[in-house]
Amino acid sequence: MFGRTRLRERIIIQVLATVIAIPFAFPLVAIVAKSFEGQGPAANYLAVLTKTPFLRFMLNSLIISGGTVALVFVCTMLAAFAFSKLRFRGRDTLFVVVLGGLVLPAIALIVPIFTIVLRLGLLNTYVAVILPLAAITIPFTVLVTRNFLDGVPDEILEAAKIDGASSFTTLLRVVLPLAKPIIAVVLVWTFLQSWNEFFLPLLLLQSTEMQAITQVPLYFTSEYGSDTPKIFASLVLLSLPVVVAYLSMQRFFERGLTAGAVK
Amino acid sequence: MTRRTARLGLNRTGYLYVLPVLIVVVGIVYLGVAYNGYVSLLDWSGIGDGQVFIGLENYVDAFADPVLWTALGHVAVFAVITITVQMLLGLTMAILLSGGAWLRGVYKVVMFLPVVLSPAVISVSFRNLLSPDGAVNAALEAVGLGALTQPWLANPDTALFAIAAINIWAWTGFSFLLYQAALSQISQEHIEAAQLDGAGRFRTMWSVVVPQLSGTHATLVLIGIIGSLKTFELVYLTTGGGPGRSTEFLTTYIYKKAIEGFDAGYAAALSVILLVLSLALTVIQMRVNRTLKG
Repeated sequence: MFGRTRLRERIIIQVLATVIAIPFAFPLVAIVAKSFEGQGPAANYLAVLTKTPFLRFMLNSLIISGGTVALVFVCTMLAAFAFSKLRFRGRDTLFVVVLGGLVLPAIALIVPIFTIVLRLGLLNTYVAVILPLAAITIPFTVLVTRNFLDGVPDEILEAAKIDGASSFTTLLRVVLPLAKPIIAVVLVWTFLQSWNEFFLPLLLLQSTEMQAITQVPLYFTSEYGSDTPKIFASLVLLSLPVVVAYLSMQRFFERGLTAGAVK
Repeated sequence: MTRRTARLGLNRTGYLYVLPVLIVVVGIVYLGVAYNGYVSLLDWSGIGDGQVFIGLENYVDAFADPVLWTALGHVAVFAVITITVQMLLGLTMAILLSGGAWLRGVYKVVMFLPVVLSPAVISVSFRNLLSPDGAVNAALEAVGLGALTQPWLANPDTALFAIAAINIWAWTGFSFLLYQAALSQISQEHIEAAQLDGAGRFRTMWSVVVPQLSGTHATLVLIGIIGSLKTFELVYLTTGGGPGRSTEFLTTYIYKKAIEGFDAGYAAALSVILLVLSLALTVIQMRVNRTLKG
């Protein structure tokens, strides 16, 4: 951003950036390196996959993430479309009501969530985790999606209206195709949140066969003591899906996140 | 909040579109908060019937509870350290990489990757890396700083700072990303004008670029404050609030009271305090930003 940089300056910049980056890279390398120690990489990873309920936990997390992503996606698109493009009384007030959820830490709801789930007999069910997860994710996804849709010119939608399309058809046929970048953000973000969630499964999924993938390290420690290399192998394995999701959607993800937050 | 008048659909269908979101958010968050308020007036274990209405007694107890104040102190120290360092490092890195370094993509991934990892993965990893014979102490010895080695998370004097350091590792990428996006929107003309006036690079940076990023600074401070109040896993899974109470956070205290202490009424009162604090700090923050802008 400062015009041409000379080679000497470029080298100074490179050195400074590297000095800052090393402490960030070091733990990443150390985590993978640790997972190769002990009996070696193949044995460690194989043990995690075959001798623990890792795959079962993974299935649970897939179901939880899939349910949360679907619920958040449908709710977000409908609401963000209405908040951005439809006119109805109390619209801005309702929008603020939804945004209020941004401020609330999930743990502040520990008592209501736990006692209500207990009373409804929903302990150890997927729904018990999916609903609160969706509720704490939706305010953010609605905010970024509405900001994005505000940038879509109303004229395009009016053309569809003149052609006789209902508002729902307009949403499906005109708005969704234009909103692909933000849809990518909503999907990846919600997947990250639900896959990575630790607190709600800890609280609400207590039977072994229902536990989420983020509980693998704790399960491991309680069953096998501290077999550190295998614990680290499980950490690497459980991080793979989010790392792959992030890397493959990197461009969309960064553009959309900043489009929603830099305002 | 003045917005363009939307011209599509001038009728009530709008309510149908927002209904699912309202059911989920109001049904869980708002009713949850209301139920919390009710339980906070009870002496109740959280399970079964024995609910006794005790008015504001839980709040009176909470304000006289030294653990609450200790925990709030820890959250404040944690917030100041993490927000400052994350913003400084994120901004510096964003500026450095905008100056045309080699392998920018690699630096970006290294900075941002921790942001997408689960707090559970980060906590378990760092509990090991920061242990007395862990990789951090080994690295310190390797570079001749063996005198600094510590049981970082087990020493009450360093534990809170160690957790702050883990948070900085996990979240600097987020500050970096927002600054990077904001930098790309700064008008090149201002920068060139300053340079024509003979301002040096550092001067240009400090007096032209940094003030133009005020929106991003404000966003990061706000997210940082709420994030600090929310922090739970990072503490629960590394020190559990210990040694002693040296890293107790409001969130870990709430968890202990609700789940391990079977004191739902008291935990609910602490939750209400947490909620009021987050709301109040958000409103104050937004007012301050508006005044600064106006």
